[in-house]
Amino acid sequence: MTTITADRAPMAGMKVYHLKLGMWVFLLSEVMFFTGLIGAYVILRFAHPEAFGVPGEVLNVPLTAFNTFVLICSSVTMVKAFAAIEQNDQQGLQKWLLATIVLGASFVGVQAWEYTLLFSEGFVPMAESYHAIARGAAEGSEVIGGPLYGATFYTMTGFHGAHVSIGVFCLCFTLWRARKGAYTAGNLGGVEIMGLYWHFVDLVWILLFTFVYLI
Amino acid sequence: MSTTEKDIASAVDAGGQHDHHEIPWIRKYVFATDHKMIAKQFMFVSLFFLVVGGALAGMMRFQLGFPGQPMPGAGILPDAMMAPTPNGAIMLPEFYNSLVTMHGTIMIFFAIMPLLVGLFGNLLIPLQIGAEDMAFPRLNMASFWLAVPAGMLMLASFAVEGGAAGAGWTSYAPLSTSGEWTGVYLGQQLWLVSLTILGFSSLIGAVNYITTVINLRAPGMTWFRIPLATWSLFVTAVLILLAIPILAGALLMLLFDQTIGTGFFRPDVGGEPLLWQHLFWFFGHPEVYILILPAMGITSEVLSNRARKPIFGYHSMVLALISIGFLGWIVWGHHMFQSGMNPLLGTSFMISTMAIAVPSAIKTFNWLGTLWKADIHFDVPMLHALSFVSMFIIGGLSGIFMASTPVDIYIHDTYFIVAHLHYVLFGGSLFAIFAGITYWFPKMFGRMMNEPLGKVHFVLTFIFYNLVFFPMHNLGLQGMMRRIYDFTQYDFLQPLQPMNQFITLFAFALITTQVLFVINFFWSIFKGETAGNNPWNSNTLEWTVPSPPPHGNFAQMPTVFRGPYEYSSPESDDDFLPQTTPPREGPGPSSGVPAPTPTPEGAEV
Amino acid sequence: METGEEHKSPPYMMVFVVLAVLTVAEVLFALLFTGLPKFWLAVGLIFMAVWKAVLVAMYYMHLRFEPKRLWILVASPIPLAIILVVVVIREF
Repeated sequence: MTTITADRAPMAGMKVYHLKLGMWVFLLSEVMFFTGLIGAYVILRFAHPEAFGVPGEVLNVPLTAFNTFVLICSSVTMVKAFAAIEQNDQQGLQKWLLATIVLGASFVGVQAWEYTLLFSEGFVPMAESYHAIARGAAEGSEVIGGPLYGATFYTMTGFHGAHVSIGVFCLCFTLWRARKGAYTAGNLGGVEIMGLYWHFVDLVWILLFTFVYLI
Repeated sequence: MSTTEKDIASAVDAGGQHDHHEIPWIRKYVFATDHKMIAKQFMFVSLFFLVVGGALAGMMRFQLGFPGQPMPGAGILPDAMMAPTPNGAIMLPEFYNSLVTMHGTIMIFFAIMPLLVGLFGNLLIPLQIGAEDMAFPRLNMASFWLAVPAGMLMLASFAVEGGAAGAGWTSYAPLSTSGEWTGVYLGQQLWLVSLTILGFSSLIGAVNYITTVINLRAPGMTWFRIPLATWSLFVTAVLILLAIPILAGALLMLLFDQTIGTGFFRPDVGGEPLLWQHLFWFFGHPEVYILILPAMGITSEVLSNRARKPIFGYHSMVLALISIGFLGWIVWGHHMFQSGMNPLLGTSFMISTMAIAVPSAIKTFNWLGTLWKADIHFDVPMLHALSFVSMFIIGGLSGIFMASTPVDIYIHDTYFIVAHLHYVLFGGSLFAIFAGITYWFPKMFGRMMNEPLGKVHFVLTFIFYNLVFFPMHNLGLQGMMRRIYDFTQYDFLQPLQPMNQFITLFAFALITTQVLFVINFFWSIFKGETAGNNPWNSNTLEWTVPSPPPHGNFAQMPTVFRGPYEYSSPESDDDFLPQTTPPREGPGPSSGVPAPTPTPEGAEV
Repeated sequence: METGEEHKSPPYMMVFVVLAVLTVAEVLFALLFTGLPKFWLAVGLIFMAVWKAVLVAMYYMHLRFEPKRLWILVASPIPLAIILVVVVIREF
């Protein structure tokens, strides 16, 4: 059994506890992952600008703006959950975690619904069947953009959506543990790192929304 | 108790293992969370894949040495790989392409990387910094158990229709986007899925290593007292953390191109093949540093210890590691000089590539400085480490040729490149792995490996290895291209046939020689000479605990008083001075108190 | 050190308001200022997006109150991301 004496604390290191450091380190790799995907999109757009559409032409900006707002709200509820457990408020923790789950799941739901709408308008990732027309335009209208538009859109937003979905699962797990009393004001690492992941997912979306829907 | 205080109090929470109750067999050996067991798991699996990779190379060499001739024993392989004839089975070109691809893929991702990072990273990091285990032992277990199915998928791809991936380990688009030209469909997809899973395994391993080195160092273990093996693994982990996700993104995009029909890299639908190359090599270049830095770290440990001298220029060694880590991100284009890339970019990559040779050269000179006037013990680990230095010099020098864009016009995709990469990966990484396994074998198993057998293995390997790979420089300069099934189809290359046969025969000898290592390895586990705590009289922390160390490593958290290379120090009666030995009174290197007079000649810089 | 012990609770709701306002601003900017050259449109939108992202990182992810050395760690992928995109764009 390792004996730790008071005068022999380990080196200070990053001065944050292990779980938090580990999560931050992991998030750096996620930054690189989305860099690869979004970077590919930016690069392809510079290379073939004609293959992409004008904002709002094909994609539904108002709907997605609302969805962005939903995700930002979920970040607020997550922060409130963390603030609750900092005060040892178990009920508050569970309540705000549940709210985050609901909002997060709604985000995914709306996105999935948006996908079905886009599919029906011919905006698909497959190159051979891509025939996106403007929103609300009649059948047989001019095709907007090219296959790269669909491919990059679904890859970026799809992987982001997958990260949100995984986040929702993890939130459910966190809520389950919270109900079992696993977290206290002195032991809230699990909630904090859940929050870090969730805020990161929100942060990526803030950038994605801008790059994909508005520019 | 706050979360941070809990961290300090328990060092690492390994799910309740610290009460030392009997751990069920399955938790101890199969779903192990102890870093030392996970290291061994990586070692056994990787050595298996090393053998597989070697076998694939053997088959390739047969075709190159005896083109179009029936291969002995090939009758057991399916018709899709070997065309049956009345005289026996002859290798098909498509199968040769798969061999080339899978030899590279398996050696890089399933042999060298897991040996250097999975074995040595797991084994050494907690022990060398004075920690009980990794920061996240269960995550560590997940890392290993993700690598296993990845490996199984890779092997399984040989058995599917169309065979294993055949577009080269670099899987360039548009060759790889469709099976039209390689004849490989499912195999290519399995390759992509396997590597994605393996990438994730490496990634969570990197998270563990980085967190552990930053946060779990024992008292007194400042950054500049960390042994170079751990330093190199730390920098490597950062490279893995940031490069693998780019590969993952690229692999997934390629997978979508192949399965869903997207057009990222397909020119026929407006995609950009060059984008694949940029993404792949943006990962690929840090990857090659991932494959060499830990080997450099191991070499530094072994050289210093077996020469009984401090490593020359410890601080500059660390700075060189960090510089290589930085510069490695801005040289990737040198793999693409002949791709049709923007020539201005080519020039800037040429400059950065020449620049990155400098820190590697600094390290090389420092190794030589370590050996200068040293009391060198020519035992097996030292022999392999010396090999590393000399072979790495050759491999590095050939790299300078390629760094020059105009020269690369001539030698790109020839056997000159094959020679270079094998000099750094075999002459470099693999010899360092042999050194490391031999050196840390007693710590893992409590027994020494057999020294005479090890020497025979070394000498034969060294000789055969050079006879196989050195002539490839020449073949390349004479125009023999790489990844080619039958070079004799070109008149100007036909005179190279005898040299290829020569190489093939010695390649068979080289592969056969490795049996000696296998025998030594397994025999020594059971019958090797028993080893004490510190058979090599080393300074670093892993040698202060029993061989093998108990669960939890250190009975009491160690305190570190000095750097790891105090060999032949005037502060000690022996020719070594462990990091944890308390200082005698007064200033001097052993007490960590600055000396008022200049440090004696030969002491650590 | 533990969160919340050495400072007042961070202004979460204030940040939320700013985020909401910026989101609306972004959408309006994109939809109304279509006459602007593409470059300036992009600059403006990216500026607002980055502002939002930094707010989330600083306050919700608590970076503002963490040791400065963590900031360096977190910033490390950013130069790489820039290098990758800028260099490869030059290709085309």
